[in-house]
Amino acid sequence: MKRIEILNFKSPNRAPLKVEGFIFGEESAGTSIAFIGSMSGDHINQLYVASGLVDYLRQKEEEGKITGKILVIPAINTYALNMGETFWPLDKTDINMMFPGYAQGETTQRIAAKLFESLQGYDYGVILEGRRDQGMCLPYVKLIQSGYEDIDSARDLGMRFIHFRPYSPIETVMLQYNWQLWGTKACSVVFGKNGTIDRVSSSEVHGALVRLMSKRGILDISAFEGYASNIIEPDDITVLKAQCAGIFDSLVGCGVAVQKGEVLGRITDALSGEKLENITAPIDGVVTCQYANPLIFQNSIAFRIASAISKR
Amino acid sequence: MGVIEEVFSIDLPVGEQFRIQRCRYTPQSGETKKRISIVSGIHGDELEGQYVCFLLGEWLRSNPEKIKATIDIYPAINSLGIDSITRSVPFYDVDLNRIFPGSKNDFLPAQIADGVVSAMSGSEIAIDIHSSNVFLREIPQVRIAKSQADTLVPLANKLNIDFVWVHDAVTVLESTFAHAMNTLGTKTLVVEMGVGMRLSKAYGHQLLDGILNLMACEGFLDIAPLEVRMPIQSEVGEVAYLNASCPGLFVPAIEHCQMIQKGEIVGEIVDPLSGQTLDEVIAPIGGILFTLRAYPIVYEGSLVGRIFGENG
Ligand SMILES: [Zn+2]
Repeated sequence: MKRIEILNFKSPNRAPLKVEGFIFGEESAGTSIAFIGSMSGDHINQLYVASGLVDYLRQKEEEGKITGKILVIPAINTYALNMGETFWPLDKTDINMMFPGYAQGETTQRIAAKLFESLQGYDYGVILEGRRDQGMCLPYVKLIQSGYEDIDSARDLGMRFIHFRPYSPIETVMLQYNWQLWGTKACSVVFGKNGTIDRVSSSEVHGALVRLMSKRGILDISAFEGYASNIIEPDDITVLKAQCAGIFDSLVGCGVAVQKGEVLGRITDALSGEKLENITAPIDGVVTCQYANPLIFQNSIAFRIASAISKR
Repeated sequence: MGVIEEVFSIDLPVGEQFRIQRCRYTPQSGETKKRISIVSGIHGDELEGQYVCFLLGEWLRSNPEKIKATIDIYPAINSLGIDSITRSVPFYDVDLNRIFPGSKNDFLPAQIADGVVSAMSGSEIAIDIHSSNVFLREIPQVRIAKSQADTLVPLANKLNIDFVWVHDAVTVLESTFAHAMNTLGTKTLVVEMGVGMRLSKAYGHQLLDGILNLMACEGFLDIAPLEVRMPIQSEVGEVAYLNASCPGLFVPAIEHCQMIQKGEIVGEIVDPLSGQTLDEVIAPIGGILFTLRAYPIVYEGSLVGRIFGENG
């Protein structure tokens, strides 16, 4: 293992921002892969999985099991992590909205440019992503259709669902899109609830990352098969919104199979305690994601249910 | 007198509604389908537009007989943000101007965007007033995507501003309010002026004259067009970006945005700890300094100014 400095960026008064990477099998001419952990300050679960992966790979290296080249960058925005912020603490910009970066540009564009430079030339890339809302979800692969996406390697993760969809305008400045355009087979694994660590999801994601490396000849170990991933297109998702605002109680976990008519959650008036609403499944399917804050807004998405609609 | 209407309301979890209000002025007699929307506060830390809305409302209240079409004033789109110095949509931490056109089926910020678009669609013209952010001070200017230049530049020239900046289309900007409205056929101008969290009174009055002039020329007001200044056009020259070369405290050498010679000192970056001057920020070209940093703390890359210089 080699611990390298990806970038060192001075601050007016704070100690410099140091982004570190861990390289395994540096001299290997075999297949290469890079993993990106937490890009924003609330993606704690992503940090946890990435640093756990570093520790795992260190052991595998001692056992002589590494046959490719692996880079893990557990945390990018350590400044935000160290002060409970989400984005770049001064101007609140999101580093994952700055790709491919610009070396002569604004601070976070420069950070993105430096980072992106260090990610060039890898065969595969996996971005550990948190959510961009107040939800939590069953771990899933997010693969956007940039025209350069590679669904086969995404399948090798063996996760239950691959959310495969066209990209939105804001995704053109995110890492996955740009990494794909620059020739790396990149995808994101989205999981957890921002600001927290979920051990079950973490070990599922860890297992998936190891499986991918094993299948692609980067790790010489045998891993259990995962799921034959279901490709979820936008039409397969049923969105259940809260009609009322108030206190939200979920009665199911992510990943649970539910039946039409089943009550998934309740909303009560935050002041009077009156029962306002039962949120009921309108269709059979699997709960893939749910609202994860005790206070819910009117019309917020309370649950998303995946059903095999596009397969019919 | 205008009629105050609530165009969007959504329950918050604990006994309150998120609301967007407008004040609508209509002709004293006769029906009209012709409508213009004046918009501010998409970013909650930008207040210059609030003052312009006030000035315009005050003028319309005293000149009701001059009104020939519907004039809608929306001073506070991100009303939660405006009342709490929060640029993004509170709780979600999402930039509202990166989520248009929004959707009824998505999270709160997307629903707000959708509500804004439905309230304003059908307007012939919209003027979206921004005040940069807390970091930068801008002279009154309109920014237009190249693809819209033919339609929008002639309108912008009526607004009594100093600068019209036609920029290349960037995919990420397809998620702005202006892009969404222009796509729907509402000619939408984005004004940037002043600085976040503060008022620049003179700019407010300058833009009021411009809005009155535009409304006179376009048939919304029964008044003679005003004498307005012809803005500098970005096509006839180039924009130079001045980014900080090192972190520190930026001390401007000039008070306001103004004409500047090539080689002139825009400011210094100093180190309060050691008492050293770290760098001088020098104008790389001569021209008009239309952006100047207002917030002194800089990192490497922080924008400290922008100069527009005419070619030849
Ligand atoms: Zn703004």
